[in-house]
Amino acid sequence: MSRFELPEIDATRAGLVLFVASVIFLYSPVFIRPPSGTFVFLELAVLFLLYALILIGLNLQFGHTGLVNFGPVAFFAVGGYAAAILTANDPYRAVGLGFAWPVGLVAGVLAAVALGVLLGFSTLKLRDDFLAIVTLAVAEIIQGLTITFRDVTGGSIGLQNVPRPIADMTGGGGGAELFATIVVLGSVCLLAYGVFHRLSASPYGRVLRAIRADEQVTETLGKRVFRYKLVVFIYGAAIGGLAGALLVFYNGAASASFFTIDVTVIVWIGMLVGGAGSDRGVLGGLALIMGFQLFTRFLNDLLPFVTQDQFASIRLVLVGLLLMLVVKYRPEGIWGTAEELEADS
Amino acid sequence: MALPLAQELIFGLVIGSYIALGAIGFTLVYGLVNMINFAHGEFITIGAFVGYLAVVFGGVSLPVALLVALLVAAVTGWAIARLTFEPMNDAGAVPLLLMSIGLGLVLRNGMRAIAGPDRRNVPVAVTTYRFDDLGFFVTSNQLFIIGVTLFAVLVLHLFLSRTMVGISMRATADNERLALVSGIDTRQIRNAVWLAASGLAGVAGVMLAVSQSANPSVGFGQLLLIITAAILGGAGSPYGAVAGSYLLGVGIAVSVAFLPADIVALSSTMAFAILIVVLLVRPGGIANTEVRTS
Repeated sequence: MSRFELPEIDATRAGLVLFVASVIFLYSPVFIRPPSGTFVFLELAVLFLLYALILIGLNLQFGHTGLVNFGPVAFFAVGGYAAAILTANDPYRAVGLGFAWPVGLVAGVLAAVALGVLLGFSTLKLRDDFLAIVTLAVAEIIQGLTITFRDVTGGSIGLQNVPRPIADMTGGGGGAELFATIVVLGSVCLLAYGVFHRLSASPYGRVLRAIRADEQVTETLGKRVFRYKLVVFIYGAAIGGLAGALLVFYNGAASASFFTIDVTVIVWIGMLVGGAGSDRGVLGGLALIMGFQLFTRFLNDLLPFVTQDQFASIRLVLVGLLLMLVVKYRPEGIWGTAEELEADS
Repeated sequence: MALPLAQELIFGLVIGSYIALGAIGFTLVYGLVNMINFAHGEFITIGAFVGYLAVVFGGVSLPVALLVALLVAAVTGWAIARLTFEPMNDAGAVPLLLMSIGLGLVLRNGMRAIAGPDRRNVPVAVTTYRFDDLGFFVTSNQLFIIGVTLFAVLVLHLFLSRTMVGISMRATADNERLALVSGIDTRQIRNAVWLAASGLAGVAGVMLAVSQSANPSVGFGQLLLIITAAILGGAGSPYGAVAGSYLLGVGIAVSVAFLPADIVALSSTMAFAILIVVLLVRPGGIANTEVRTS
């Protein structure tokens, strides 16, 4: 792994330190209120950090192990709804059990893990591309269920009155909770990045890349391929569920519109553009894609002769073109290395 | 005397018909090019718009529009595949699949940017034949859709069993390398597959435009049903795909008739549930094709 320049500071330790610092910051009476002009960017930053969590898990699944999970949003949604249903107080036309938020957080992760176990056991023995279809279908099923069973989930109106622990602990208001959220989520992200990076840089990660390169050879070397794939799938599910729970605790609500297939598309394209298998590259790719979306949103205001609907379509055409160009001309992505994608590690 | 289920059966056969035409093409591409084509729905949409343009602006009759859509969609689909998929044919299943997702985004939203999201109805004269004694009715459109599909399946069968290209196609699907050393030009075969698959998709598009409407996501909306039907039948098997489509179509129509309204909203969700159950119980589908790797 000499190709990876190890960072000066270990991300796991830095994440832990920052996490402790952010918790102290939350409990302290101090708060930082950012200027109101920056809210657009800060809200996008929160979303970036949540998507980054999903992406860290997805990169372990696809980038390192070669598992084609086309339904990361399914775990995101299950984690979010599990957390919201357990913790909401008297939501409008939905089920809310009113437990404390830590219960919801744990339940969100566990629910996503349960879905991961179920899916992993049933489909990880099939051809690679069948996993793609099943995960995509499961994501659609879950989206369908949340809209159909609106007495439980609130449907497209959503499930309100979910506790917002970070906002509650931050005094000040007027954007102070946005800043605090970014600090906390940033530390969680850094920690997750550190842990998953250590995992993929370890001998364990080499086995994963061997599985991606050739399952049968790895099996003959005495590695239990199915078990490795299952565990990796579950790791990804867990962190996706965690991201979902964090989302509803940030928003104070869960709604079907947070958990659409767009999440899957953005996270996947970010990963491919950045370079699947490159732990830092994928996050760079995600930043590029989300930055592009923000940039084009401003661009639309400058082009009055194009309707908003047309503009949304053109933007998706560009995203699709970008995906095609990357897959064709630079399959290793911007920051990935071609050798890394091959079977050399 | 009213025949129970007769009406649902007719609806089911209609739904099954356009799924079948989509699923045959999807499964041929899957079996021969070895890729899951997520842009297959867009080939259907192209057919829907070509059919709409031919009927509304060209003023031609429905059978002529069908033929026009067949040709235009076949050539367009083939050309697109030559530009996008063919150069990276050896890259493997996952890059091809990702390519098709990108292509689907480009085509679907490109058509949406040009045509707008509106649903456009295709005006066609419809005659309804009522059989009140037996408790069902059938329209000329429905008969036309079912008839065209059965005709297409018959032609496909003759093509696969009686022509050299069809036989080479089956040989290539079975074992590409063996076919290559036997002197079959597999590149030529892939060209034929793209023409056939997108042509059939174009026909399915016209049928959808007539029975529902032409809009930029009409094909994409059918995609997961098509994939379900193809896997239900056994991925790569065209006969299996036809069987799977009609099973799925009748299943959807009957469940809509007998299940409570709340569950009906789940009908597409149910299709995916069926898909997952099939993969768990019999991943090879009706034709029992090979899908396990480890």
